[in-house]
Amino acid sequence: MVLEALEREGVEFIFGYPGGANLPIYQHLPKYKKLRHILVRHEQGAAHMADGYARACGKPGVVFATSGPGALNLVTGLCTAYMDSVPMIAITGQVVSTQLGRDAFQESDVIGATSSVTKHSYLVTKIEQLPRVIHEAFHIATTGRPGPVLIDICKDVQQAIAEPVIPEPIDLPGYQLNGHVHLSDARKAAEALAVAERPVILAGHGVLLSHAENQLLELAEKAAAPVGTTLLGIGAFPVNHPLALHMTGFMGTGWNLKAVQNSDLLMMVGMRVDDRVTAKLAEFAPKVKTFIHIDIDGSEMGKNVRPDIELVADAKQAIEAMLPHVGKLDEGRGKWLSQIDAWREEHPLRYTHSNGHLQPQDVLVDMYKRCRSEAVVVADVGQNQIWAALWWNYDKPGLFINSGGAGTMGFALPAAIGAKFGRPELPVWCVAGEGGFVMTAQELSVAVEHQLDIKIVLLNNFSLGMVRQFQDDFYGGVRSQVALTHMPDFVKLADAYGLPSRRVDSLAEVGPAMDEAERTKGPFLLDFHIDPEANVYPIVPLGKGLNDFWEHPEID
Amino acid sequence: MTDQSRVRVLSVEVEDGTNTLTKVSGLIRRKGFHVRAISVGPSRVPGRFRMTLAIDAGHAEVDQVRKQLERLVEVISVEDLTDDAVHNRELVVATVAASEVAGLIKRGAKVLGAGPEGTTIEFTGDAGEVGGFINELASHGIVDVVRSGPVVMRRTA
Repeated sequence: MVLEALEREGVEFIFGYPGGANLPIYQHLPKYKKLRHILVRHEQGAAHMADGYARACGKPGVVFATSGPGALNLVTGLCTAYMDSVPMIAITGQVVSTQLGRDAFQESDVIGATSSVTKHSYLVTKIEQLPRVIHEAFHIATTGRPGPVLIDICKDVQQAIAEPVIPEPIDLPGYQLNGHVHLSDARKAAEALAVAERPVILAGHGVLLSHAENQLLELAEKAAAPVGTTLLGIGAFPVNHPLALHMTGFMGTGWNLKAVQNSDLLMMVGMRVDDRVTAKLAEFAPKVKTFIHIDIDGSEMGKNVRPDIELVADAKQAIEAMLPHVGKLDEGRGKWLSQIDAWREEHPLRYTHSNGHLQPQDVLVDMYKRCRSEAVVVADVGQNQIWAALWWNYDKPGLFINSGGAGTMGFALPAAIGAKFGRPELPVWCVAGEGGFVMTAQELSVAVEHQLDIKIVLLNNFSLGMVRQFQDDFYGGVRSQVALTHMPDFVKLADAYGLPSRRVDSLAEVGPAMDEAERTKGPFLLDFHIDPEANVYPIVPLGKGLNDFWEHPEID
Repeated sequence: MTDQSRVRVLSVEVEDGTNTLTKVSGLIRRKGFHVRAISVGPSRVPGRFRMTLAIDAGHAEVDQVRKQLERLVEVISVEDLTDDAVHNRELVVATVAASEVAGLIKRGAKVLGAGPEGTTIEFTGDAGEVGGFINELASHGIVDVVRSGPVVMRRTA
């Protein structure tokens, strides 16, 4: 009955792992030809694959796991999806309903363990509940602010036989999608944006989730307002556009931070305004007279920054409501935009080759040339993630996937696998550091088994680079437990899993190695031995305001 | 001491589900809120319960309490009664020495029963009245006392 319901919901892929408490589902799985099950090597991998799949193609990712440890292994993946508002359905096996609470074999309180990292969850103890629950779960996961929903199904329910029931229309009195929409200030927001002297728009993941990229572009051009994005909002605005401010936040571009800090109006669209965006909250955007906040989730209003004008709605709906009301612009606008151009000149993204090592940026600049604004790029967490974000060069809205809110190391490889299943027609590049990569490297088996065309760009600096940089700069220079010695030889590791690979030590080898990877069908691992001392710049020292960003110390 | 300006009094209609109380209390803990008072009982609608909560918003904007509760699928509606004219009633049940009972009845207490350990009485009132009543009991030697959370309803015009 579970599988029937999944077919009814249009599910194509299930990322899962069988075990004692979901055996009945797996018994019937081979009969359901429309459902393609991808056997993972660890349940965390399944959750990240479903996450990458959902982010790449927009459909909810589906995960299966058994009870106890199987389900608990999903927690990090659920949290990653929850923090970044990714639609996902996790179906976990649970012990027989009469055994609940008796500490049965592989029993754990999965609902209790996952409540804080799911949008909603269900424990199903009776077969009659199942059609309604599955239908509701998909509705909740995919509508409003998306998120993961977990369904914990007792084994006896999986075994029960019942007449297939077409679920009744959804009746969730506590889940009112349009109940909280508030757009009456759209005109006021548009007018404020037009008459502001120094406006800045920041766009987050919500713009991508609502596919409001074109509306955002239209609004920015109409209002001649520069647009920056959050880390998760990358791709929401073409980064080569004259109005682009690129990435904001404590590792954002210098010209973005200057613009934010000197703006008199800040419009924040589809974003949570978290601490990575604001840095020290008390020093965030101090000259702003009007904060406009647009988000589909009303609880984001004033959660971190109190807006003067709030629009609670889907980003596209909100921007469309504003567009007709953007009137005559303030006369100072030209001066503001030239000032931003001057800051862009003054604080460009830069790096040096002063020590003869291969630099991570060399690798990424070459990679992005090959992407031609069309490939999916999945980054892990740490320095590799920020470099991949900062050197992003897409001239149209594109797919940059990373774990922004949760910052989950080990995300990239399984998420890239999921993304490839979601968008098989697009090239997929996976950018990771060696630290995060080994956390989920077992999923290489999945890439090889399905001969997925994924190019893995390992930025190998022999250390936990971001932690090392923080220790150097903000924790008294004490390098503590950051050296990653005794790591595998990644070329041999790739060989052991059965995928081709190549190690690269110098700039001259980057192009030919990338050529080889692109020529090779199926997965390919590139082990780039980069400068072990390479740092991320700009960076705002921990605890400081955005004004205090540091740039590359070797360049003046 | 609780800063009363940080406390919201909310009347919350919820689904009668096994996970509802956990979800509400988990949210309150996670967001750094703090429960000052709580009472729960069935509502007029079958399958729904009414929770009356007094919640300290901690370091968040006070309105976050309502907004965060509204996000829960189990929560059907949240009414903020903090600044409204309300009937706010609490119940206290106490066992006291039989010699004290006459004075307490004069204050509005009702006798529920008597036994060798003393007489059991009940008293209802707003939070201040119930607090005052309990303070008075303390000076007379209480055998036992229990106090409910508040139930709150907006006053009709």
